[in-house]
Amino acid sequence: MSAAPRETKLSVHGLSKDFRLGSGETIQAVADISFDVRDNELCALLGPSGCGKSTVLRMVAGLEEPGAGSLMLDGKAIAGPGRERGMVFQSYTSFDWLTVQENVEYGMRLNGVPRAERRDRARHFIDLVSLGAFRHAFPIELSGGMKQRVAIARTLANEPAILLMDEPFGALDAETRWTMQELLIDILESTDTTVLMVTHDIEEAIFLADRIVFMTRHPGRIRKILTTDFKGGRRVADKEAVVGLPEYGALERHIMHMMREESPSREHHAAEG
Amino acid sequence: MNGAPTPRRPRWFEFQRAIPARASLALGVSVWIIFFLLWESAVVFEWVNSLFMPPPEKVLLGLWSLLVKDAFLVDIGISIYRIALSFALACLVAVPLGIFMGSFPRVEAFFNPLVSAWRYLPAPSFIPLLLMWFGTGDGQKIALLFIGVIWFLITIIMDHVKSVRRELIETSMTLGGNRWQILRTVVIPASMPNIMVAMRQMLAVSWTYLVIAEIVAATTGIGAVMMRAKRFLHVEKIMAGILVIGLLGLLFDFLFRRLHRLLFPYLESERR
Repeated sequence: MSAAPRETKLSVHGLSKDFRLGSGETIQAVADISFDVRDNELCALLGPSGCGKSTVLRMVAGLEEPGAGSLMLDGKAIAGPGRERGMVFQSYTSFDWLTVQENVEYGMRLNGVPRAERRDRARHFIDLVSLGAFRHAFPIELSGGMKQRVAIARTLANEPAILLMDEPFGALDAETRWTMQELLIDILESTDTTVLMVTHDIEEAIFLADRIVFMTRHPGRIRKILTTDFKGGRRVADKEAVVGLPEYGALERHIMHMMREESPSREHHAAEG
Repeated sequence: MNGAPTPRRPRWFEFQRAIPARASLALGVSVWIIFFLLWESAVVFEWVNSLFMPPPEKVLLGLWSLLVKDAFLVDIGISIYRIALSFALACLVAVPLGIFMGSFPRVEAFFNPLVSAWRYLPAPSFIPLLLMWFGTGDGQKIALLFIGVIWFLITIIMDHVKSVRRELIETSMTLGGNRWQILRTVVIPASMPNIMVAMRQMLAVSWTYLVIAEIVAATTGIGAVMMRAKRFLHVEKIMAGILVIGLLGLLFDFLFRRLHRLLFPYLESERR
């Protein structure tokens, strides 16, 4: 893919959010978050736990109200959840009472897509995530990785303008996670999808993302926005090849350093050292 | 000395270790054999007065005589009709109300104070009132059975609906689902298997209230037949009534389980 300038898809500007605690005091969850996601880009929100990255994603999804700031998708203000911002969650969200085929058709059914078109499009996306043999299986018969593939196919078949993913592979074992990351790259290459993904996994962020928004905590702010230019604007679906590049190691060390500085036990370590 | 592991002697009692199906069946049958042997010996060896405690075979004869001479099947039918009608009415109210209360906290906040208060009022305490309102006919029995189960049914269904995972609802939201669609395509199908279990359990409670309803001011139904048998000291017929109620309870439970499996085949590999 060429490195031609891309148009802004999602624009997040001055986003803040407070949470009221049970004790009555308020804490600032995220403060003054501004970043853009460009068309066809995979942008990762990365940071230590508690930095509010999921809160940012949930506000983009419309599942939580922003305290302040603006959220624009394709130049239109975001208000509440909608089909143009489909979300894949960390926990399994397959509907147990529907088959794989019916699960993938679900969003299209909500939006009144005619039956024949629904069926064909669902088939296409089920094949895309390599679940063709399980089309008529119920989710209870599937493994965790397969359930996440159903969730991805279901969201993409609904043709969202942007795909939101909240630690989508966080519940999977290491081997399955790796396979799923490579599968995601393949899928994105063949579907031209814009993605905003939350992760706490540095390796995952560097391997998958074109751009990484690194957040700090208390309150959650953007510390740095990094690009993975060393991949040459291409997405390589071979994780071993990417991890082997010298630039990969440099970027990983850089982010690890920032992550460590964010660690709550930093002072403790400094005192010991 | 060799390294081969010595097989450990199998023991009778092992924590949570599954036993073979045949052993399970044999044990289940033997507990009943022992039960009937003890009962029989209690009568034969005169540990008890056989006037108040007839032997098992006399109970079966009593049941036979009830069925043949006293048209017991009609009373059984009446009892089943009372259970079925009152339970259907209770579900008709409790299922939609429980679903709305579990889905929308505002609906819960409105109805729950009423429902929780009624839950703690023993249904039989309404019998005098119901007798005045409905007389001694079917209306009074059905009303008692209705108020006996409805409040618990509402509460249990509400709790099941509340426990529908939030991510499922949010997934539907981000796929474009509106509130009505989410209720219909996520909340109801997700909670239905548990609602059916709640219905099965409350049906058992319904049988308890049936007996209470039919013992007081009743001329028909299994309970009334048992009370009449008491007047003539026909202990074996009282016991036959208990036996029939137990068998009917088992039958209904079995039917509900079958229905559950039929309606929710996708839960098949999930053994409960």
